[in-house]
Amino acid sequence: MLAGGRRWLPAIALGVACGAQAGPPADALGWLQRATEAARNASYAGTFVHSNGERTSTIRVTHVSVNGDEHERIEALDGPPYEIVRRNEEMFCYFPDAKTVRLDRRVNARFFPSLFRAPADVIARSYDVKLGTVEHVLGYDCRWIQLAPHDASRFSERLCSEVGSGLVVRAKTLNLQGQVIEQYTFTDLKLGPQVARGDVKSIFEARVKQWITDSQPREEAKGVDTGWTVTGLPPGFAKVTELRRTLPGRPQPVSQLIYSDGLASLSVFVEPNGAPKRTSEASSEDGTTTFFVRPMGDQLVTVLGEVPLPTAQQVGRSVAHRP
Amino acid sequence: MTQEISSLMDGELQGREADAAVSACCGDEDRKRTWYLYHAIGEAMRGQAPASLAIPANVFEKLRQQPTVLAPGRRVPATVTRVALAAAASVATIGVVGWIGSQGGGGAPVEPVVAKAPTASIQPVASTAAVVTAPVLNVQTAPVLNVQEYLVAHRQIPTPDLYRPVTNRAPVAVAR
Repeated sequence: MLAGGRRWLPAIALGVACGAQAGPPADALGWLQRATEAARNASYAGTFVHSNGERTSTIRVTHVSVNGDEHERIEALDGPPYEIVRRNEEMFCYFPDAKTVRLDRRVNARFFPSLFRAPADVIARSYDVKLGTVEHVLGYDCRWIQLAPHDASRFSERLCSEVGSGLVVRAKTLNLQGQVIEQYTFTDLKLGPQVARGDVKSIFEARVKQWITDSQPREEAKGVDTGWTVTGLPPGFAKVTELRRTLPGRPQPVSQLIYSDGLASLSVFVEPNGAPKRTSEASSEDGTTTFFVRPMGDQLVTVLGEVPLPTAQQVGRSVAHRP
Repeated sequence: MTQEISSLMDGELQGREADAAVSACCGDEDRKRTWYLYHAIGEAMRGQAPASLAIPANVFEKLRQQPTVLAPGRRVPATVTRVALAAAASVATIGVVGWIGSQGGGGAPVEPVVAKAPTASIQPVASTAAVVTAPVLNVQTAPVLNVQEYLVAHRQIPTPDLYRPVTNRAPVAVAR
């Protein structure tokens, strides 16, 4: 009770941050809220493996909280190298192969272990939140938090929250058959005072002088009224934003509407059904990523999100002009 | 020759062309290996990783005993979507989506942890003149599902392709 309503501690000094010291929360919602806050306010460094369907990637993340400011460094260990250094909402994206660094503003990045886009009580409108067993993971005790969806329009989620800090060290998404289809898991993790401010410095920063720097803020996709709406939205999903986005190879901007239930999200794209014209519906699923495309008169509707296929179909088939 | 083997596997060759390719394909050890490797690659892309990259001893003997099937050429892009998703693998982990805060009614929810811009617009990443990664498969069949572009747009994945270098940008640019 006490911990459930507690706000985060802003005053953390000298690059040393740690989670709340007030002991674990009393109820499941408190655990969920603490896990959400820990991803932002705790200091941690580690490597995690993300597998989604048949795809796997390995990412190194370092995160510290200094005087209320978040500093984070993300580095891809598989595939083409890239690095993101973030200070609160400012993101420097380094692409060494392209010798390019890009300054960007983040709204809210879904960087594991930060998986939630809403407070715990909003998530509880769509999921039953329950506490599970305590397990020993990577040398830490962690408690499982289970999120069972109220309906079949979203997947269920299991999170392993470190008992001391609340940080999520493992997360699994399960389909309606109970099979794990997406998983994040730290393979090594340092928590709290072991992580130093210097650890979040870019490894490419020194080399960047000869690189191309693009710090032009992008104006093209400010929130707009696209004129489209979804009439058959599953309960619990709310619109995050809508925008017009310029996609490669298209003469006109594409409308994008983004919806989320706080955990799962989906995008609806509407664009002219150009050449070559698509005449039938098509879909694909891989892990939690579902893709559904549907011709609608002269328009082409595309839904992409971390939802079951019937949800994507329901959403895609109920796109309409806003009255 | 490898082109012929590839075309044969894609079902593009018919009649005498196919016959020629089949006999050529099994004509020597190098070509047998190519033929087998192409199938192994295809299987791997469909998620059915072959147990071994070595050619099983009896596979060509079995193949010889198969009747010739004369089917019309077809190019079904059944695996294209999956392949496109796989291509997005390296960048798919990161995503940016807004925070939905207090939308949806039902009382006053706890204030979002990050107080700044709780329902702000999404930062654009996709850019006008950017060229997206080349298609993984060169399939000419009409509308191919290009999942990658939408995936990048949905998750706001930073990729160098979508970050246009300033030198390519037409009017005003800020270089540091």
